[in-house]
Amino acid sequence: MKNKSLLHRFVDWVNGDVADDRPGNIRTVGSLPEAKPPKEKPEHTDPLRHLNRQIAAYRVSAVLVCVSLMLALTYTVLCLPTYNDPSAPTNNEVSQRYVEQGMEETGAVNTVAGMILDYRAFDTFGESTVLFTATAAVLFITLSKHTKEWTERGPFADSSKDPILQVVGKILLPMIFVYGIYVVLNGHLSPGGGFSGGAVLGGGLILASSMFGQKKMVRVLSANVTTGLSVACLLAYAAMKGYSFFTGANHVGWEIPKGTPGDILSSGFILPLNICVGIIVACTMFSFYSLFSQVEEE
Amino acid sequence: MIRTILAVALMCFGMFSVCVSALGLFRFQCVLNRIHAAAVTDTLGVLGLMLGLVLLCGWTVMTVKICIIIVFMWLAGPVVTHLVAKMELLTERNIDAEAPHEEGELLL
Repeated sequence: MKNKSLLHRFVDWVNGDVADDRPGNIRTVGSLPEAKPPKEKPEHTDPLRHLNRQIAAYRVSAVLVCVSLMLALTYTVLCLPTYNDPSAPTNNEVSQRYVEQGMEETGAVNTVAGMILDYRAFDTFGESTVLFTATAAVLFITLSKHTKEWTERGPFADSSKDPILQVVGKILLPMIFVYGIYVVLNGHLSPGGGFSGGAVLGGGLILASSMFGQKKMVRVLSANVTTGLSVACLLAYAAMKGYSFFTGANHVGWEIPKGTPGDILSSGFILPLNICVGIIVACTMFSFYSLFSQVEEE
Repeated sequence: MIRTILAVALMCFGMFSVCVSALGLFRFQCVLNRIHAAAVTDTLGVLGLMLGLVLLCGWTVMTVKICIIIVFMWLAGPVVTHLVAKMELLTERNIDAEAPHEEGELLL
């Protein structure tokens, strides 16, 4: 202890590793209760010897893998074109076209929304499908076999009788929902859009669920309803975007008006697509919360 | 000039609170102490930083927005801390040693 440098002692103190006999400090962070000293065994039948050798090999190979990855990545970085190089492959005509003609072609004032929901709409579609697949997998694994519905939470996780949460939640909940809907609906006009607004809505749903209790939430949003909503939104997205792309991405039959700042009903497909993405994200967040907080069955 | 100095002082105070809070979060050893330290960020840290920003940017629309952020953080942060503390009280088996209290005194 005395031999350690000041820095090491400070680090130990921050980590809480210093022996501390004060009352109240009964546990050390991250340390389990002390294991019993291992019983003495005859050395020639030590079953751990094999394992120790494997652990040593594991450490050596881990260092090797890390060093080789470091070398490869550093070499790659050295090969990158210099910053601001006009002949770099990233500085092609695509980004310039997005910036210059994005508003005319997609109708979105928010260029990012125009990119992710019009030029690269199928990329966003894939992301939404990933969310839906994750929900489906978790539902498949964890949903109760007998009830086919998310079950009651344990008595510990039920905070629906907490008066503080009730009062504050009644103030916060409407604000959160209004803000989430605002972010989704204004995705093509201002920063925001389906993903961020959907995350806000999902947080609001989780707050509602912990305020009112799972029983009341099931009446509004059961597992079937969230799955159905996600599927309906995905299908609507695929139909709209498929129609748009198969007709040559020229928006035949749905002349896209230019986005007007402040006018929500503008810029054609982007508004319904944003709504679809928002609903999918909100449903995914809420169903994850409901599935992981339910009582584990024996 | 005075406004800038005051704003910088307030923001330094806010950053100091956040640093103390982060140190306490790692240094304390049981959950109740640690959430006590962590909650300082949500209240004092946010207050200092945001009031400093209000003074810096003057009386505009941003002022109202920053005030709304302060109100939101002050409403949400303590409630979350309260819920975490309640969960710890309900689920920690070793709660008698962790939070010493009189015999018969209700913790909840």
